[in-house]
Amino acid sequence: MLEKSTIFDRLTLFLSIPIFLVIWEAISRAEIVNPVLFPPPSLVAVALYKWAVDGSLFLDLWMSLSRVIVGFVSGALAGVVIGILTGRYRLFSNLLTPLFQLLRPIPPIAFVPIVILWFGLSELGKWFLVFWGVFFTVWIAAHLGVQKVDETLIRAAQCLGTPDKKMLREVLFPASLPYIFVGLRTAVSISFYTLVAAELAGTFSGIAYRIDIAQQNLQVGQTIGGLVILGIVSAVADRGFGALSKRLVWWG
Amino acid sequence: MSAINQTATDIGPQTARSHQGNITIQDLSIVFGSGRSSFVAIENISLDITSGEFICIIGPSGCGKSTVLNAIAGFTHPATGQVLVDGQPVQKPGGDRGMVFQQPSLFPWKTVLSNVAHGPLMAGRSKQAALAIARDFLQIVGLANFENNYPMTLSGGMQQRVAIARALANYPRVLLMDEPFGALDAQTRFMMQENLLRLWEEFRITVIFVTHDIDEALLLGDRVIVMSAGPGQVIEDIRVDFERPRDADLLMDTRFLILKKKCFSLIKKESLLAFEQQKKSSIQKAGKHN
Ligand SMILES: Nc1ncnc2c1ncn2[C@@H]1O[C@H](COP(=O)(O)OP(=O)(O)O)[C@@H](O)[C@H]1O
Ligand SMILES: [Mg+2]
Repeated sequence: MLEKSTIFDRLTLFLSIPIFLVIWEAISRAEIVNPVLFPPPSLVAVALYKWAVDGSLFLDLWMSLSRVIVGFVSGALAGVVIGILTGRYRLFSNLLTPLFQLLRPIPPIAFVPIVILWFGLSELGKWFLVFWGVFFTVWIAAHLGVQKVDETLIRAAQCLGTPDKKMLREVLFPASLPYIFVGLRTAVSISFYTLVAAELAGTFSGIAYRIDIAQQNLQVGQTIGGLVILGIVSAVADRGFGALSKRLVWWG
Repeated sequence: MSAINQTATDIGPQTARSHQGNITIQDLSIVFGSGRSSFVAIENISLDITSGEFICIIGPSGCGKSTVLNAIAGFTHPATGQVLVDGQPVQKPGGDRGMVFQQPSLFPWKTVLSNVAHGPLMAGRSKQAALAIARDFLQIVGLANFENNYPMTLSGGMQQRVAIARALANYPRVLLMDEPFGALDAQTRFMMQENLLRLWEEFRITVIFVTHDIDEALLLGDRVIVMSAGPGQVIEDIRVDFERPRDADLLMDTRFLILKKKCFSLIKKESLLAFEQQKKSSIQKAGKHN
């Protein structure tokens, strides 16, 4: 029954999160469950405030974001380039597709132990894990996307005198952008999953790292606060990317 | 009318392809697949098409009309025989043979203007020259005001006019059209046919136009080629010499109706034959399973 939005609609939409917070606060304050393990949102807010004023929240946020950005950008670039090559050229496809189809289903998290052996606790290891998670998602999207380009569009371009060596840039790449962007958007979420795994595995900063440390010190407020931050950051990244792709591939 | 004349003379010198666009199809056969699963789509077609002629091809669906166009365009290669365009055998697709498909097939990420400018750019013209040519041709198809639109904001008929402008902007020797108006509603199709006739009378370019609509073929063509069902062969080459310019009144003309009846009975016979063939082969297939 989703018809046009009424004032009532907007009100309920606006109230969704506040209502949730109030119920949470009430349950916690009623001490139905252990309040130490299940602090009310007001205490979570206090914990977040403390985390922010000593400055470490912004450092943690920056470290986490930088890992996501480096891993995402490198994984996305490699995924698009190699995906177009394997999707369009038999030689690349023969050489790489079987290998990638074998590696792709392995959850990136499973690589954490070996990554620690290879890279220790350095940033390189974190970048690598995020890269790994992003790469395969973007690769398969670009690979399939460039294969799904409408044959008539290619033929139309040929009849207009488009030489084979310009076909990639003029037609295949732009025509597969809508598929590629679907892959990129999925990869945004995946980069946050892998970030968490990477930070839990050993580091000295970052949102997920702080969640882990707070848990060990039984600072449940900060642990939940970290989850809130991760939720907000990845939701903003996902929505932002969605809006961006609507502008960049408006025809898709 | 004046806008058309003016633009046409503006670009007149560059259209110096008159006396070009002679097409010779010699004993053309086309086979799909190989070995036991091979399928003869076209068998021994020969046709001579003179520069500036408007040729329509009709025939039951699946008889190989598109395959003939694809062979001229260079998408499909002959099993035997050859296709010559101005004496040169067709090797691969190129900008000298423009094609308009049933679906407009515009580049959705480019504006209408950039779509039309694509061909001239690929032909090595400067950006400025390409845009000027594109504007001229958009004017000719009556879409000058839509140059900054994206294709998906236009109606099907307007998109197809852009596709025609885009194909013409390369000054091709021949315009290949594969049921270009087949997806349009009757009203729009009619307008498109009249537009195309005016364009052709202006440019006198060779046109090969595939359709399954007998009215359309007789209204547009100098000749109507009737093809038989599988394997595709030419069974009639009908000269249509109604005076030009032609318009809708022709559809009621007795001479028109006589030709229409002739085409209709030929197509009907071929369609029934094709239907029987398909039935037989499916019965055979079903028999194999028992
Ligand atoms: N690429 C192809 N591979 C195999 N068979 C094809 C191919 N293209 C067309 N055909 C077959 O060739 C015959 C003629 O097709 P087509 O030229 O598209 O017919 P029409 O345009 O007259 O409807 C059809 O039976 C079709 O199934
Ligand atoms: Mg066809």
